[in-house]
Amino acid sequence: MPHQCTNCGRTFADGSKEMLSGCPNCGGNKFQFAPTTTAAAESSGGAGTDGSGSVDTASGSADASSSESDGVATRAAETVRDWVSADSDDDSGPEAAEQPLSAGSTAATESNQSWPASDETDSDDSEPPSDGEFEEWPETARRPEDRSGSPTEAGSDEQSHSRNSSDRPSSGPTATMADDENSAQADARTEVVPSDDLPAHSDRPEKGGAEPDGDADSVAGTHSEAETGAEVGSDDADRPPEHGRVVSEPSGQRPSIEDLRAELNEQFESIKIVRPGQYELNLMELYNRDEYIISLQEDGRYVIDVPDSWHDGDEDD
Amino acid sequence: MGLFTELKDSISRATDRLFSEQEPKRIGIYGPPNAGKTTLANRIARDWTGDAVGAESHVPHETRRARRKENVEIERDGKTVTIDIVDTPGVTTKVDYEEFTDEMDEEDAIRRSREATEGVAEAMHWLREDVDGVIYVLDSAEDPITQVNTMLIGIVESRDLPVLIFANKTDLEDSSVKRIEDAFPQHKTIPLSAKEGDNMDEVYDNIAEYFG
Repeated sequence: MPHQCTNCGRTFADGSKEMLSGCPNCGGNKFQFAPTTTAAAESSGGAGTDGSGSVDTASGSADASSSESDGVATRAAETVRDWVSADSDDDSGPEAAEQPLSAGSTAATESNQSWPASDETDSDDSEPPSDGEFEEWPETARRPEDRSGSPTEAGSDEQSHSRNSSDRPSSGPTATMADDENSAQADARTEVVPSDDLPAHSDRPEKGGAEPDGDADSVAGTHSEAETGAEVGSDDADRPPEHGRVVSEPSGQRPSIEDLRAELNEQFESIKIVRPGQYELNLMELYNRDEYIISLQEDGRYVIDVPDSWHDGDEDD
Repeated sequence: MGLFTELKDSISRATDRLFSEQEPKRIGIYGPPNAGKTTLANRIARDWTGDAVGAESHVPHETRRARRKENVEIERDGKTVTIDIVDTPGVTTKVDYEEFTDEMDEEDAIRRSREATEGVAEAMHWLREDVDGVIYVLDSAEDPITQVNTMLIGIVESRDLPVLIFANKTDLEDSSVKRIEDAFPQHKTIPLSAKEGDNMDEVYDNIAEYFG
């Protein structure tokens, strides 16, 4: 449950539309994207259900990743923090010039890298049994300064490694995000993204080479990523998608932070956070939408302004 | 501050008007960042009400919340036209804090950037729901053919709102009113310098005519 009302603490499924008209409980319109550690721990606690719930969308990878789905929330929270904190630390890193999203990418690379590594140790031999394992995910996704070893070093060392290892199909971050998918989100996306905005299926390359470069991902790009995550969820591309839209196969090269960012962008595509302090705005979306983010916070918090509160504020002005 | 007085005034004026006239038209001042929207809004407000609307700055995105000045009564040819003017944040498709780091420290620049982004969102909402006419302000020393200008004017046209294009900053050497006229020939373009107060008579004539 990546969305939580900051007022009453009610949590919402990813992509839930309920909160777009304010919190049904308390009417609050302040939410945060990243779940708290407690929330994450709770979701880890419900390991069995989470894992099996995700099987329908990620059958292919579910065996290898039954623990992944549970770790997702925690890891997402950690990654958001990494993303934010890494920004100030790693600007001068070697990747900075190469990728405009350097900060995010660096952090992502690290957490991404930790994935396959842990994956191998944890699940190659046996099925990761349960909660005990999940404690490790946050550890591996710790922000650089909290871990031993210099972040820059780790980032550059591991980048190539991560690229190599990411060639392995499935169980990567993309599939992971899909595990976190649910019908509410899929539903929300189906409505929000007009099919005109999406590239035609036949235009897409069969092998997931779509938008591999960090900065090159356009709005359409974010759509396709998220759609990919939503609908494919595994390498089983031939399987007819539940919601009828497959735009590309999951690209194993996506660092998890990009998925996370894409996720945020997807849900609030009117404003794209390139990195803290840098935004791209889709004016038509802003113009067309009833709700919009009135307050962006780099820590993953935001306030959605809903039409009712807008008009109230208007009167008080 | 003046908020309560203003509120009281506007309530009493609204009551006065309740059974006699229609609501004053709400005119949004739109345009890209740093076109001189706030300078124009202040000029209009000072000329007709005595007080200003907001702070002006050479640093883009000084205005990050829409500001409204109600019941600006403009007299033309013995008739009075009453409008509410809404000074909106500059609309842009990209906001980058590095634009401001020369003027302030990074933290402030990032905050300004975030607020500016929210401001654009707000401006777009005003455009959709809360304005009855648009004054589109352009810096006449800049190329008017941009994605933002084309899109915004397109939106205004699609809503059938009355629109005037103001070619501002005619005091600048590079100013070219013709470039703006040529870019948007379907709309009336009025040259002015809000900063210097040049050609304001024509400005008010046209405001009265278009939005009265």
